[in-house]
Amino acid sequence: MSGIAYSSRRFTFAAAHRYWVDRWPAAENERFFGRLTVPHGHNYALEVTVRGPIDPETGMVINLTELKAIVNDTVIERFDHADLNADALFRGRVPTTENIATVVWDLLVEKLGAERLWQVRVWEDETLFVDYRGEA
Amino acid sequence: MIEITRIYHFSAAHRLVSEHLGAAANAELYGPCARPHGHNYYVEVTMAGVPDPVTGMAVDLGRVDAAVGERLLRHVDHHTLEAAPPLAGVITTGEGLARAFWDILIPVLAPDALRRVRVVETAKNRFEYRGEAA
Repeated sequence: MSGIAYSSRRFTFAAAHRYWVDRWPAAENERFFGRLTVPHGHNYALEVTVRGPIDPETGMVINLTELKAIVNDTVIERFDHADLNADALFRGRVPTTENIATVVWDLLVEKLGAERLWQVRVWEDETLFVDYRGEA
Repeated sequence: MIEITRIYHFSAAHRLVSEHLGAAANAELYGPCARPHGHNYYVEVTMAGVPDPVTGMAVDLGRVDAAVGERLLRHVDHHTLEAAPPLAGVITTGEGLARAFWDILIPVLAPDALRRVRVVETAKNRFEYRGEAA
């Protein structure tokens, strides 16, 4: 008997960022983003969900050790204790939680494939998270 | 398209009582919940949107915070739910609250953006409403 299941693993990374649109004057940035223009940081949490059939031999949707290695190598190594604004992926792209979720999706979908990667959830803090499932 | 969820908190007193039932029937139906008691509630408000290419923001969270604070939290935090004007006539079950909160928020949050209201009553009970008709 086979069925589709969803497996999620949680990761954390601590990163600095600020909200700033380069082509706006400073006053406009400050008016629009307020306190968020000042460099600050968060303990982000990332929940990666993989969808797929339960393998009849292993009983697994995905080997979580494999998932852990992929996410660590691709995302956590890159963003943990880093300045998001300095990363090439955020050049010309404000590192909002929304954009972090889509950037993480793009990084992971290359490794996991769209048929396996189901959802990326990025928690900025305990009160805010963003879900992205690769939908246009 | 992304979904962004903000989690809010309030503490309130309530009791479950249906005005269609007598005291004995209410006590029978709702058990301990018919007695005045309270919870540390969490409300999760989920909005959908596309991140703006310039600002990176799909939703103006300041606006959402202001709307939830003004329309909802102000009336319920450290209040009795049955006495809160926006909840007049509502049986304050978790599902009743989720639907009532949706109805309170939908006029002030963009109707096509609000996706889900989830009420977490205790660590064991959570309730969702997505505006779907029965």
